[in-house]
Amino acid sequence: MQAFATLLLQTTDLLPAGKVRLRDRTQDSARALETFLAGVERKAFRIAQIALRHEADALDAVQDAMMQLAHRYASRPPEEWKPLFYRILENRVRDMQRRRIVRQRVMAWMPWQGEDEEEASDPMAQAPDLGPQPAAQVESDEMMRALEKAVSELPGQQRQAFLLRNFEGLDVAETAVAMKCSSGSVKTHYFRAVRALRAKLGEFHT
Amino acid sequence: MSIEDLNEGTSEFEQRARELLTQSAEHLPASVRSRLTQGRYAALASRPPLWQRSLVFRWVPAGAAAVLAVLLLVAPHGENPAVSPLAGATPEDLALLADTDALQLGGDLAGDQDVDADFYEWAAGEADPSATSSVGT
Repeated sequence: MQAFATLLLQTTDLLPAGKVRLRDRTQDSARALETFLAGVERKAFRIAQIALRHEADALDAVQDAMMQLAHRYASRPPEEWKPLFYRILENRVRDMQRRRIVRQRVMAWMPWQGEDEEEASDPMAQAPDLGPQPAAQVESDEMMRALEKAVSELPGQQRQAFLLRNFEGLDVAETAVAMKCSSGSVKTHYFRAVRALRAKLGEFHT
Repeated sequence: MSIEDLNEGTSEFEQRARELLTQSAEHLPASVRSRLTQGRYAALASRPPLWQRSLVFRWVPAGAAAVLAVLLLVAPHGENPAVSPLAGATPEDLALLADTDALQLGGDLAGDQDVDADFYEWAAGEADPSATSSVGT
């Protein structure tokens, strides 16, 4: 009986410590995830934007990918987050591209064949910034636009391999996980992407 | 230039492309940055609590289903066939069952609506007076 009472007392002493540890673990995990998301969100947005050529859709795609990662994969080791996140993002981008194709087909049959309401809603937001800019900035912007257009015109897997390897800086193995293919395929897609971009952009690299 | 060379990502073209893309990501409009921050907070808020993310929690439904399946397989369906209805029978009971006349009598009792129950009760009382003390009173 005395042994039981001692055990009970010890257990009671351990409970608050366990609670504190659990709270600390939760906070650490949340902090790690927040740091990760803050670190990838801008590049992820640009990757989605280049693929979708639409700012609002790109923002939606990134937010969906963040939600899915946090909801389903937060318990996975942090080193697995990046390839998983980009895999989710690419799936989301493809869903949106498919949906857009279907919408365009449906719209083609509609009598009014109106523009996308969202795009047409705010002409000011769509207008280019015509303020004074330094010449170097203008040149850089033009190069960026040319590069963005060329990358967006690449076949899906080449675009993905190029952006993940070159822009996001994933290694071949991580890119293979994100693209759900072999390392050899990643290398091939990347090689073809760079060759195609060079052919299109010509003087871009000189 | 070979595949391996290009996959090192060190050519001037690749470096220039990386530089431009990185610049464009660093100079996003404030509205976009704000939306990304909102999205990040929403994602963090949507995280399930730690106890739900643990392996134990994730395996509880599967474990419960497995236990239920095992119980359904092991549990007896209706009467237990291992227990014989004759298990507690005495030799007298078996002899009674083997007696074809007695069975005939039982059949008569079950089938005949005009059975004289009083007669059988009287007969039983004659054999054991203490059992039917109420008969004839």
